[in-house]
Amino acid sequence: MISLTVNILILLFVPFLMIGVIKKTKAFWAGRKGVSIFQPIWDFIRLMKKDAVISETTSWVFKFAPIIGFASILFASFFVPLVGGRALFNIPFAFVLFSYILGFGKFFSLISALDTGSSFEGMGASREACFSTIVEPAFFISMASIAALSQNYTFESLRLILKNAGAYGYVIIALLAVTLFIMLLIEGCRVPVDDPTTHLELTMIHEVMILDNSGPDLGLITWGAAIKMFIFEALIANLIIPASLHGLAALVAFLAVIFILALIIGTVESSMARFRMTHVFEFIFVMSITALIILALVTYRIYGG
Amino acid sequence: MEIYFLALGMLLAGALLSVIVKDSWKFKVCSIFTLISSIVLFLPAAAVLLTGGTLAQTVYMSPIIGDVEFAIDPLSAFFVMVISGMSFLGTLYANGYMKPYLNKGMNVSSHCFFLMMLIASMVLVVTVQNAFFFLVVWEIMSLSSFFLVIFEGEKKEVLSAGIKYLVYMHLSVLFIIAAFVLLNIYSNSLTFSDFAVALHGEQTLANIVFLLAFIGFGIKAGFVPFHNWLPDAHPAAPTHVSGIMSGVMIKTGIYGILRVLLFVGTPSKLIAYTVLIVSAISALYGVLYAITQHDIKRLLAYHSIENIGIIGMGIGIGMLGLAYSNPAVAILGFAGGILHILNHSIFKELLFFAAGGVYLKTHTRNIEKLGGLIKNMPYTSLLFIIGSVAICGLPPFNGFISEFLIYAGMLKGIPSSEINLFITLVFAIAALALVGTMAILCFTKASGITFLGNPRSEQAENVKGDVARVMIVPMGILAFLTFFIGMYPQYFIGAVLVPASMFAGSEAILPIFNSVMALVSTLSWYFFLFLVLVLVLFALRALIKSKVVLHNTWGCGYNRANNHMQYTATSYADLFISTLKPLFKRVTHIKKPKELFPKEAYYELEVEDIEEAYIVKPLISWDEKFLAKFERIQSGNIQQYILFGLVFLIIAIIGLVYFGG
Repeated sequence: MISLTVNILILLFVPFLMIGVIKKTKAFWAGRKGVSIFQPIWDFIRLMKKDAVISETTSWVFKFAPIIGFASILFASFFVPLVGGRALFNIPFAFVLFSYILGFGKFFSLISALDTGSSFEGMGASREACFSTIVEPAFFISMASIAALSQNYTFESLRLILKNAGAYGYVIIALLAVTLFIMLLIEGCRVPVDDPTTHLELTMIHEVMILDNSGPDLGLITWGAAIKMFIFEALIANLIIPASLHGLAALVAFLAVIFILALIIGTVESSMARFRMTHVFEFIFVMSITALIILALVTYRIYGG
Repeated sequence: MEIYFLALGMLLAGALLSVIVKDSWKFKVCSIFTLISSIVLFLPAAAVLLTGGTLAQTVYMSPIIGDVEFAIDPLSAFFVMVISGMSFLGTLYANGYMKPYLNKGMNVSSHCFFLMMLIASMVLVVTVQNAFFFLVVWEIMSLSSFFLVIFEGEKKEVLSAGIKYLVYMHLSVLFIIAAFVLLNIYSNSLTFSDFAVALHGEQTLANIVFLLAFIGFGIKAGFVPFHNWLPDAHPAAPTHVSGIMSGVMIKTGIYGILRVLLFVGTPSKLIAYTVLIVSAISALYGVLYAITQHDIKRLLAYHSIENIGIIGMGIGIGMLGLAYSNPAVAILGFAGGILHILNHSIFKELLFFAAGGVYLKTHTRNIEKLGGLIKNMPYTSLLFIIGSVAICGLPPFNGFISEFLIYAGMLKGIPSSEINLFITLVFAIAALALVGTMAILCFTKASGITFLGNPRSEQAENVKGDVARVMIVPMGILAFLTFFIGMYPQYFIGAVLVPASMFAGSEAILPIFNSVMALVSTLSWYFFLFLVLVLVLFALRALIKSKVVLHNTWGCGYNRANNHMQYTATSYADLFISTLKPLFKRVTHIKKPKELFPKEAYYELEVEDIEEAYIVKPLISWDEKFLAKFERIQSGNIQQYILFGLVFLIIAIIGLVYFGG
């Protein structure tokens, strides 16, 4: 019960702090003092109190989409193991359900972008839809390989790699961490795929889709985006935290990994610019390649002797 | 079983009666008779699915055909239910859809007649157990659907699509005849139950028969590379016919494959891999081309190919499970594939019906000319969006359940002793994931560009009001079903596990039955919680009292944006299409702006099917060249033709004397 409460609290609040840490890191590299890491929470509350401006063109789709999008992200996060390595909902083939529930939210955010009849938002939707077609197969290949390795179809398989793969395990973990990290950058719309702070609409992906959302809707979307990043970080955390840790130690290790990843994201964003749109594809294909290497390693491990 | 013949009689009676009554009553008669026969057919079918038994009756037809066995086993029962239910909704929808065509001197009588014949022949196809009679009703089915397709035969493209369909169907029947003839030679019988005995232990023969039947039935079902008739025939046909054809009729091809698989028993690895790989290619190919289409019915037709591919993947996984004697994989695969048959028939009819409503109101199928319909056609739009979510396989709708079962089958099969099975399955998983995300791309395009945003043409702008209630009701029922099957799959899993157990053996199913049941019940609970979560969030959102100000769409500082500046379907799909350039044949029509004050300029992008461009068309032109050589003997002289007949008879007699004895 305690662990459940802790996990739910982590799920709801740590994403904000994680965004705060990223911002603080970027401020540090830019030589600024930066805002407090709690600022995203205050931003969220401020957005919730604001009025909303809605386009005349829009229909119910536009009003529903932020809520459905947020609900799907929150619900998908219930399938992801947090502290202690156990998800709230632990069923076999969880990664399939996880991806498809995220897809449900994505469907509505895509059509809500088209609902505005804007000349820009369709562009973002087109890019988002296009990139996810490359991301999903790579994710499925790596998760299926890991499932085969440990004969475990839940997300617990992430913690069983070392046990089942021996020395190969370290390589697989490293590659899987890279795969998930790239996926995080894509799904979380971070540099070098997308720039959450840019002001040029033509170069944006996710941010351009939500140009017309304002007030509480925008608040929900930003919170959802933070949770989405957080759950991918949680997957990486489960991957690298030793399965033997329990209790408080596991909690500390988990939070440490989350914030270190936030530091890395902040550093990446400070040290490089976003890719040109044509190069984004190449970057995403790196994920497919790492996924295929994971598959090759797993195949060798199982059948190679 | 008498009740089954009663239902067939009702359908035929309806066919005849609809010819006699006056125009405004024709479709009412069709609907009423289909409804009665559906209800009547549901009873024996449900009884079979609940008990797992078989109803059978042998009828002496004529001295030529001999005894014909009619049987409803669980597989037939499942198809009978799908066919009768979906056909009824189709005829109901036709009441509204065909209204503008009535009293215009068009041949509605024959249309109604063939519609009822199509339904009756589909029911017969899935219940007849005699190869000869099967071919007869199969042919009736193909022909009646051909006449339905060419309803607007005075349009050139409709007629040519119809003829293409007819040619493909006869190619299909050729392969089916070949398979049945082989079976007939080896079993010396025409009854299906004898076929299974004849194939027992004959691995090579079974492979040949299955592959022939797979090609034959695959043409009907629309597997790549035999899919080419689908994207032409569906847009040409009236919408309720497209719905019935895409939702139900092409599934008879799947039925045929499954039936022949029952003869084969345990399939060899060769054919199991063939089915899986062909299906995966079909699924990918279908959705890939669907993305490029801007004719909404053509887009949906390509999606039928995709979904047939997904069904085939389920069956392929099931066959692999049998070939590697892994009953859990077999049952999950077959159950997923068979459930997807039901699911696809539901959401594909729904989508076709909604698209038909759009066509009725705007007189265009080109989504580039649509947009903003959600304001004037709120119900149709909502229903289309529901159908879109369902066809993408997103939870909590029905498409997810069947895809999830197929995923489960593949993942269960992964810890295998054989490396090729492992690699194939992992790539099949990736293929299914890719199909799912591409479907999202395609259907966000279809629903977003058609219904959302601002109208892109006058046709779309001048729409007044939604379609008639008699069209909304069937769509509403279908939409409810997509949701209900998604939310409570446990009530439907039983209906597919019984037919699935025909393939995997009923002893094997018991232990797996419970675990599958437990899995889908958990899913059902999760979806319920998801729904609760969404509702709670809606309630919380409603609590936040924020003032809403209406304003025009943010144009990045530009306030004079017009409807033509919206993102279009072409531009939405372009990033994806241009990434995969080699897979398409792109035909562009450009007229560049010229002179000082350019008057007219346009850019049009068309994507041609590479299979048609590089395989079918060269084959046809080669064929034409070859056949042109025979023009010489076609003199138009009757005496000469009689001579040809005589020569043929003499050759035939000589042949009979020498080789026949």
